Amino acid sequence: MTDQEILARWKEEPAPLLPVLHAFHARDGYLSEDAIRAVSKGLRIPLADLYGTITFYHHFARVPGGLDCPRVCTGPVCVQEGALDILAALAPAGATGMPCSGRCDDPVPVIRGHLTLAGRSAADLVTRPAPLPPPTRDGDRECVFRTIREPGHATLAGYRRDGGYEGLARAVRELTPAQVIESIDRSGLAGRGGAGFPTGRKWRAVAEANGTPKSIVCNADEGEPGCFKDRALMDYDPHAVIEGMIASGYATGAHRGFIYLRYEYPETEHILAEAIREAEEAGILGTSVMGTGFAFDLHIRRGAGAYICGEETSLLNSMEGKHPFPRNRPPFPVTHGFEDLPTVVNNVETLASVPHILALGAEWYAGLGMNGHAGTKVISLSGDILRPGNYEVPMGFPLERLLYDWAGGPFEGRTIQAVTMAGLSGGFLAGEDLFVTLDEPAIRARKSFLGAGGIMVFDDSRNMVEVAHAAMEFFAHESCGKCFPCRIGTQRLTERLAGEAGPDALVAWVDEVADIGYTMKETSACGLGTAAPLITESLMRYFPEAVSRHVTAHGALPMAGRG
Amino acid sequence: MSTNGTGPSIVLDGEKVAYTPGETVYEAATRHGKDIPTLCYDPRLEPFGGCRLCVVEVEGARAPVASCTAQCQAGMEVRTRSARVEVHRRTLMEMLVSENREVEVDELTSLASQEMTELVDRYEARTGRFQGRQSGASRPDDPNPFIMRDYDNCISCYRCVRVCAEQEGDYAISVKGRGFDTQITVEFDGHLKDSACTFCGQCVQTCPTGALGDLKALAYRDVAGETKKTRTVCPYCGVGCAVDLLTRGNTLIGVQPAMDGPANKGALCVKGQFAFDFVQHPDRLAHPLVRGEDGELHQAGWDEALDRAAEGFLRVRERYGRHAVYGVASGRAPHEAAYTMQKFIRGGFGTNHIDNCSRA
Repeated sequence: MTDQEILARWKEEPAPLLPVLHAFHARDGYLSEDAIRAVSKGLRIPLADLYGTITFYHHFARVPGGLDCPRVCTGPVCVQEGALDILAALAPAGATGMPCSGRCDDPVPVIRGHLTLAGRSAADLVTRPAPLPPPTRDGDRECVFRTIREPGHATLAGYRRDGGYEGLARAVRELTPAQVIESIDRSGLAGRGGAGFPTGRKWRAVAEANGTPKSIVCNADEGEPGCFKDRALMDYDPHAVIEGMIASGYATGAHRGFIYLRYEYPETEHILAEAIREAEEAGILGTSVMGTGFAFDLHIRRGAGAYICGEETSLLNSMEGKHPFPRNRPPFPVTHGFEDLPTVVNNVETLASVPHILALGAEWYAGLGMNGHAGTKVISLSGDILRPGNYEVPMGFPLERLLYDWAGGPFEGRTIQAVTMAGLSGGFLAGEDLFVTLDEPAIRARKSFLGAGGIMVFDDSRNMVEVAHAAMEFFAHESCGKCFPCRIGTQRLTERLAGEAGPDALVAWVDEVADIGYTMKETSACGLGTAAPLITESLMRYFPEAVSRHVTAHGALPMAGRG
Repeated sequence: MSTNGTGPSIVLDGEKVAYTPGETVYEAATRHGKDIPTLCYDPRLEPFGGCRLCVVEVEGARAPVASCTAQCQAGMEVRTRSARVEVHRRTLMEMLVSENREVEVDELTSLASQEMTELVDRYEARTGRFQGRQSGASRPDDPNPFIMRDYDNCISCYRCVRVCAEQEGDYAISVKGRGFDTQITVEFDGHLKDSACTFCGQCVQTCPTGALGDLKALAYRDVAGETKKTRTVCPYCGVGCAVDLLTRGNTLIGVQPAMDGPANKGALCVKGQFAFDFVQHPDRLAHPLVRGEDGELHQAGWDEALDRAAEGFLRVRERYGRHAVYGVASGRAPHEAAYTMQKFIRGGFGTNHIDNCSRA
């Protein structure tokens, strides 16, 4: 395609910048200066602004051949599975490391061009589908995984065979939008991307907000290290996401939807595109959903490598072609979202729960939880555990049972030293706190949070200071640079955990790390900066001896303490 | 006067004060005399919420909130200087000190250049804590004669980027990269002269750390004496931008825009900002010159020169009438000279043929 053809293809579409950039990126194998100039002119974006925005995304290559250079996942789990050896072996091919790319149950993923390869050494990298969620013992308490393991479920025929689109059909034909919201409200469904905001309340706010067109945005920018549930849901149940989005559109009066998909899931984009095509052909998407006259269109927008774009307001700025800094809130996206218009932003898992709730009822969903908690939560379990994978647990399920009964416990001869919560954002739980139940109140009482449900396991062979360093390095790499406490704080904490800078006396070291963390937690502008210090906080709480050894060892180094 | 009885109000450090709907907590607090520290704030720009120094405690809120982005809500109880927020401010200032090459910068660097230094002093933040890598990379390679790009002292407040976009409308600079590696840049990391930059200098004047500097003014940093500021109006064109001329003794050492100038609110163009060298340029005429019989200019006394000029003008007027005379005053002349010039043409010759190159 010529420059002009690419621009003409997307220019009149909503949110055109990312698809235009991806088209140039795919055509040329990188984003050339000429391409960037053409996009600036074609979409009327100031050149410096566009250049700055492109540099924000780490997967846009800016040297020839960059797209085809291997990018090796160096996330916390993959590093323990030999990622650094793979990276070294592929160095002659121009390999670089990339943050966790969301396949921790099947290490080590390597992205090359538009393909994901996976393997435990450079020699055995193969393309293979991401793993299906392993079967669970309490299958009857599942919601989003209830039918996902059925063969052919990702196709429209398979999805319908398993009861798909029946809930939506009933909703659009028999229920008013207000009744749909009422049903979601009663189910107790809350944001499964980590924030836990009641979904029904969010939908009602958008339904009641002034301004059109309204939008439904599916947040599929699953960037949290150790989280890979949304990939499984989209790969094996794409129609559930589509059905949930249409239902959300119907309930709120939105006629357009966007799936903001993280860059690292190239195969998922094809699966989603195919499912959308099938749904359009069957009259489920388009000008008249199931013949009701309700119109709903769905677009995929692919990210380009930036964890912060999973923060909903950064995501919206990214879609709008702006520099993806988080926005100041209020106003919230429910009134000022995409293009400053009312917008639902829901996580994949949240939206994929909706069809099941519509089909089986709010009371059924609410009843899936334990100890008074509603519904379920998918946990992405990885690391030093016998059977890693995505497990859908009832809210309130004991962590211990998940780790030992469902996932087989630690490897032979090992014990579990610590687990992370919320991927990395919740920091570590260890010791007695491993006997927590998986629900927000219980986990928050232990100064952590469940978040998106990523749990990485570290056994007694692991150096927790090194693990904490890798975690903080990730946050520093992904800090957007907007607010001072996060931009400087993640850097300073990383340096201290690496032993590169900081006081060589333990008391002063702990003071500095605690002071930085306190100010980050209380003054950062978004969740990245407020969550990152949970890593150091929990490290110092559970592993004071390891911290002491670390500081003492580095205190002996000639440069320590002098930056 | 802090309440009006009928309008909405907030409680500010224990005192009930009125606010205008839509007003931010920072604006209301500042209006009521509170000195809340900021570094990313410029009243002309959209609130950004980056530096977090302006955090205040709001009753009922879990964590302190940025007062620059938070709007007043009726009944809100705000504490602007509690121990808790002061601790965060000090930590933030210590962190800033740790990322820059230096805290002290020459006052000639720019109008806002002392903002960070003043806060470092206020929070006694030169503690040497939080040492580590420094952020930003200076661009001494940029050959432009106006703007120093010393990003070793950049704190990523993006006031430069935002003033360029929001006030000047040039979008010449932007933010490259992320996090601690962010860098202010033009497209493709080039030089300002190859970008959309018009060298208006607004980025320089709003920079709170001296990362951007006025090279013209800094060239006079070694001139001895107290810096005196004289408010005047830029003579270069008809907009009427208010400026402060900086002088030391008899030397004009720089120009700064007046933030309260009604026509410009801190904005200037490249001429008003940087083009003042002619005032004390060695090529400037220091005495009258009269053209002799040989066709060359020769130094002359004032009486001789004025007589020759008067003679010539009178001859023209007598031969062709008073409207044959046309006066054009220079934009480089002082306003007083321009005023005198029009008096001279109107009153002296009786014609309205008077103009100024600034009108063009």
